[in-house]
Amino acid sequence: MASGLPNPTSTWELVSGQYYRKLVLFTPSWAHDEGFNLDDYIVTGAPFGGALALWKDPRKFHAYQSGQSVKPSIIVCNLAGGLLRRITWDRGAIQAIGWSDDEHLLVVTADGSVRCYYDLQGNFTQFSLGSDAEEHGVVSCRFWGSGFVALLANNVFVTVNRYDEPRPRPLALPKLPSPESKVHSWALIPPNYSDSRHVEVIMATDKTILIVDATESQDQVLQNGPFHHISVSPNGSYVALYTGDGKVWVIDVKFQQKLSEYDSGKTNQVPIDVQWCGVDSVVLVWEDEVHMVGPNGAALRWYYDSRVNLVPEMDGIRMITTEKCEFLQRVPDVTKSIFEFGSSSPPAGLLEAVGHLERKSPKADDAIQLIRPSLPEAVAACVQAAGHEFDVGWQKQLLKAASFGKSVLELYNSDDFVEMCKTLRVLNAVRYYEVGLGITMEQLERLTPDKLIERLVVRQEHLLALRMSDYLSLPTDKIYIHWACMKVKLSTDDEETICRTIVAKLSGKRGIAFDEIARSAFEEGRGRLATQLLNHEPRAGRQVPLLMSMEEDEIALDKAIESTDSDLVFYVLLHLKNKLPVATFFRIINSRPLAYSLIESSARYHDTELLKDLYYQDDRKTDGANVILRESLAQENFTTRIDKLKLASKLLKDSKDHLIEATALEESIKLLNLQESLERDIFEETFVGLPLNETIFKLTRLGFHPRANKIRGEFKMPDKRFWWIKLRGLVAKREWAEIEEWGKSKTSPIGWEPFFNECLSAGNTKVAAMFIPKCKHLNHTERINMWVQCGLVVKAGEEALVAKDYPALEALLPKATGAAVPEIQRMMQRLRPSK
Amino acid sequence: MPTERATEFDSSKIKDQALRDLCNVLEGVRGKKSLVVDKSLSGPLGLIAQFSLLQDYGVVQLHWVEDNNIDYSTSKNILYIARCTAKNAYSIASQIKNAPRIPGQDFEHSLFFVPRRTPLCDRILEDEGVFGDVTINEYPLYFIPLEPDVLSLELDDAFEDLYLHKTYTSIFNSAKALMLLQQQYGLFPRITGQGNKGKRLLDALIRMKNEAAAEDASTSMALAPSSIIENLIIIDREVDLVTPLLTQLTYEGLVDEIFGINNSHVELEASLIGSALQTPTDSTGRSVGVPAAPQAKKRKVLLEGSDRVFSELRDVNFSAVPAILKKTALRIDADFKKKDDCKTVSEMKAYVTKVLGPAQKDRTSLSMHFNIAEVIQKHINTELFEKTLEVQQSLIAGYSSTQQNELITELIARGASLETVLRLLCLYSCVNTGFKPKDFDLFRREILQGYGYEHVLTLTALDTVALLQSRITAGSAAAAISRTNYDYLRKPLKLFSENVNESDPDDIVYVYSVYAPLSIRLVQCVIQKSQMAHAARGGGGLNPTSAGWKGFEDVVKHVSGKSFDEVQKGEDKAVRARMILDGQNEKKVTVVFFLGGITYTEIAALRWLAKREDGKSPFCNIPRARVLTAGIGRRQIIIATTGIINGNKIIRAATADAQTKPPQA
Repeated sequence: MASGLPNPTSTWELVSGQYYRKLVLFTPSWAHDEGFNLDDYIVTGAPFGGALALWKDPRKFHAYQSGQSVKPSIIVCNLAGGLLRRITWDRGAIQAIGWSDDEHLLVVTADGSVRCYYDLQGNFTQFSLGSDAEEHGVVSCRFWGSGFVALLANNVFVTVNRYDEPRPRPLALPKLPSPESKVHSWALIPPNYSDSRHVEVIMATDKTILIVDATESQDQVLQNGPFHHISVSPNGSYVALYTGDGKVWVIDVKFQQKLSEYDSGKTNQVPIDVQWCGVDSVVLVWEDEVHMVGPNGAALRWYYDSRVNLVPEMDGIRMITTEKCEFLQRVPDVTKSIFEFGSSSPPAGLLEAVGHLERKSPKADDAIQLIRPSLPEAVAACVQAAGHEFDVGWQKQLLKAASFGKSVLELYNSDDFVEMCKTLRVLNAVRYYEVGLGITMEQLERLTPDKLIERLVVRQEHLLALRMSDYLSLPTDKIYIHWACMKVKLSTDDEETICRTIVAKLSGKRGIAFDEIARSAFEEGRGRLATQLLNHEPRAGRQVPLLMSMEEDEIALDKAIESTDSDLVFYVLLHLKNKLPVATFFRIINSRPLAYSLIESSARYHDTELLKDLYYQDDRKTDGANVILRESLAQENFTTRIDKLKLASKLLKDSKDHLIEATALEESIKLLNLQESLERDIFEETFVGLPLNETIFKLTRLGFHPRANKIRGEFKMPDKRFWWIKLRGLVAKREWAEIEEWGKSKTSPIGWEPFFNECLSAGNTKVAAMFIPKCKHLNHTERINMWVQCGLVVKAGEEALVAKDYPALEALLPKATGAAVPEIQRMMQRLRPSK
Repeated sequence: MPTERATEFDSSKIKDQALRDLCNVLEGVRGKKSLVVDKSLSGPLGLIAQFSLLQDYGVVQLHWVEDNNIDYSTSKNILYIARCTAKNAYSIASQIKNAPRIPGQDFEHSLFFVPRRTPLCDRILEDEGVFGDVTINEYPLYFIPLEPDVLSLELDDAFEDLYLHKTYTSIFNSAKALMLLQQQYGLFPRITGQGNKGKRLLDALIRMKNEAAAEDASTSMALAPSSIIENLIIIDREVDLVTPLLTQLTYEGLVDEIFGINNSHVELEASLIGSALQTPTDSTGRSVGVPAAPQAKKRKVLLEGSDRVFSELRDVNFSAVPAILKKTALRIDADFKKKDDCKTVSEMKAYVTKVLGPAQKDRTSLSMHFNIAEVIQKHINTELFEKTLEVQQSLIAGYSSTQQNELITELIARGASLETVLRLLCLYSCVNTGFKPKDFDLFRREILQGYGYEHVLTLTALDTVALLQSRITAGSAAAAISRTNYDYLRKPLKLFSENVNESDPDDIVYVYSVYAPLSIRLVQCVIQKSQMAHAARGGGGLNPTSAGWKGFEDVVKHVSGKSFDEVQKGEDKAVRARMILDGQNEKKVTVVFFLGGITYTEIAALRWLAKREDGKSPFCNIPRARVLTAGIGRRQIIIATTGIINGNKIIRAATADAQTKPPQA
């Protein structure tokens, strides 16, 4: 091995054929502070090498230190002990502290109120877990990437799935074996790893385990309890249980199979924490003693000088003590294959070769020829291994080896190599003690670079974040926005300068949400600055909410209209309607057609009084009358209905242009009154509401001819229409005699054809035929056709004979039957005697 | 948001996405659930998923938001899916408030707004005090592919929204939907269109594009002009209201006129469906709209292109239908007889799977369409239908005479339906720039006495939409500019023609027997310039590569509303990148968007054009060489719209107020 670097295997330890390594990530700054003892604090850490939250353990006595504030506070710091924020706490007993994947800090109090600190700057949102929690109190909480579950004192589990819109929901009630049963311990399976895609809780009670989800509680029927600790592996597949007799069981999550068992030998001392290290080992902590149980039940033991706090990660575990911040993980396979003592793997050979090269030894070539056949894999392995190294020297050495190897290869795609170099630059930058993120390459892959940059941004590392985003070609808009918001909040310059600085820096950049910056200015009480900044927001719709909170109502409305989003316009209108006096409101909408129509159309259904006021104000009498007319239609009570109609017609009469409508409404009143009296006279028939034509038709059909006639006169119905209606009515009544009688009139305003047609389609050919001769204006062919339709072929023949139409007669012949045949033939003879 | 690169227009992706999203919505609520759907959404949802799928995802009950009759005993999860209207928000809020409170058994209310969650609905739920009791999400359902070439937003009230109430919600929704297309396929390189509301849509679209560009650096690539889509043509319904007023004469159009097609489903008497009842595909009631068999007599049937019989029939003029039915019957018969040719077992097997199955399906469908065609035939043989058509055709031909007035009065006296009469009157008013004041008063009286005085409201509404007006209002200088002048357009656009072969058409005139829809002629002015110029001016004088309205500016001036023609360019770099990624497509896609609705007849005409543009039609009367020089490659027409409309639906939008009834106790 080469170059004076520390031997990487010095941190390795062997457990049943598997190496584990414990790396010191940071030596926290508090290690040098005599007066500071981490044992006094409850420590929780954010996943992906994120921040730590320290909260003085209320169960311990603390030495009084003069000069320090006595107000309790939560200390948020990075892994190197660098203080990020001291959050003063004034809300009472804290029952749990946790983190989300987005590095939001969650603080849950005993009475079920939850604060979500979303930016490491002490800004928070707050919500309550509900009345149940308030009444019974919160006992403990377990957190996952995007939510948490709280256990209440009445053994109810309450879950919160998201923090942007928290909706606390109770899970199903656990079916405890007996009412006195206690919950010994519990853990959760996050939604993304459970079968149901919803969070599930594993809890130990009595001697058994229950699995509880939103709908049911299932007893796993175990006999070996009580279990004092439950821990679910990071991939959600295994569960570690700590039994009452000091044993650790690893079981698959379905509780079908026991995978391994380990006897800690401590029967009377329950560990303070049991957590997974990666997916194949479990770490137990008794204050200063740590056991790590490997896959086959074999274990490593370490002893510390102070209490060990565990922060599990997906690929290992962080152990934080007063002295140091360590990371324990299984040695990755590639690393193992290179550095393992006596390894002769190709990548190991490659590393050796580069060592020779550095010493200018000719053996370099020999070494590389030796592994020539598997050189591509060796290069890939060295690249990978570099990613797993925390020591910059070894990263370089491994990359150098890879670089040497690839120079020997004829064809090599160096994408992976370049990508790894980039990743390492990023990793090393954030692992710098001033930034203090102890993240591994695998964690970065899971977290994604975007989220890493978000974490830098909330740490106020804007420049680093910006450089990194440019370097990785990621969007930079959020960094700029955050920077500008901070500028607005913290800068002591005058507003003019701030605005100029911000705009100068941000102009020409895509995706800058000026509304967000303006909002933070507004929240800081810098209203003028907010307005100035808002003017730079190109998206009209996004300006609206802020303008509304700034009470710039009319501008908000105009911007909403500009956005073409009708729903948004209506949203602003709803707000204005509740806020302003009606007259002002009308004035505002009057000059804005879209706003006007929106109010008009919504008021039609929800607020007719507003609509009437609106029309009255604008002197739109017809529309006002129409509203009343609609009301009258919706009215069941006859008198009110008439009254409303009268009112509407009065309104209409005031203007000359609506004579027809006004008379129509008057007629309508007349008709309704008539119909009402008809209903009184003629039992069991309804008339009210029928149109005029329909009324006359119905009267005719029922045989009340004089009444029909009378109404017709009163409404001056034109003759044509009346004849048609009467005809249809009589036909519908099958009143053939009446039709015949009526048909004796000399002339008909609608001609006689309709009589024929109506009777024919009613199926009465006899009566229909009566009208054929009266259709004098039709030509003979049409009349022939009519006769045929009535089945009177002979009559048709006579018609043809009169017209001397021989071809028509010929055509009739096949239609004739029986006695008609000779008749037709005779007629044909008469026309063409020669044949 | 779709990020995949597409190389051709594929509407099935939209449907797949909608289905996936729906599954996510249903999965979001664990266990058994009662589903409460906004009635106007039930049809569209039925086009995406069958009821059995809902059951697979744990839906035990289906209710309408409007009915307010949720049965709380079956499940503690209540899942609402509703359009994001204020009305829905209010009624859902009141239902949540009135949900029974049983201690220890809390109901879980989840609410999915379609197509998006708005601050308005949040605010209403907040004001009503239920904001904290419900989990609110959105289900981004915009375009629903009715057929591979038809995308519809299925907004039932788009017409009222645009022209009657003028609230323009559907413009915003349309712009959003078109934006989604642009995000998938790239910007429409050119947007050409006509009509004032169409212009508003264009403005909204451009605004959204600019906002999207300002939003995020990474979308700039997607927002380069498309190499798949050539152009977007926006036709505002207001531009051509005459076409939907005419009685449709294509097969599908007549089915719509007589039976009514909603969300591609037609409700038929069970006896008409006949043996189709026995096949499981049709008898399950493929729509979500039928939770249980409502009445035993009527059944809903899905009409779609995958039914071979229907796809041959749907777009032809009804006069050609009997011949096609006969031909199909013969073909099916021949298919059945093919079994005699099969000798070996494997031949027999191939026959059973490839021929027999489809043939049996065809036979079932054929018998249904025979029944439907018979009903239609009976209907069009009635005197009323004949007279109506007579009036329509003489109006459209420009022969105006007192006889039409008399025919219309006669129809009223004979009790023809209000829709029929109003359609004729509106048609008259549109074609002739309003009624003479005397006639106007006469007809208004006729309508009021014939159909009820409450129709004062209907007449006001029709006046607002500029469908039924007096010459005093319609002929005023201001109104004249914004009116479509059919008298002028009839000749240059060849709207009227009496020589058409309905069974082997050579022009879109065939769809109405004598009339070529103006809306489609306008589309032709954009994509078939040389043919149109040929018809208008006897050919020549037109640069074939010109685009937009070029060459037809004077024609368009006589059409209602603003004309627009917008070229969308991208950054050079992005344009080149897109070209490399997508390659140059030979087949060009034209998207035709009908704002305010399209009729089945117009769809038929557009399909006819598309088929011809695709070079498949045997009766292409332009020499091939000229086609090539004219730069017409293969073209695909995608029809997009806010919904399917017909004359009756337009009239019903206007009569809605007059139908107000006292609330049922």
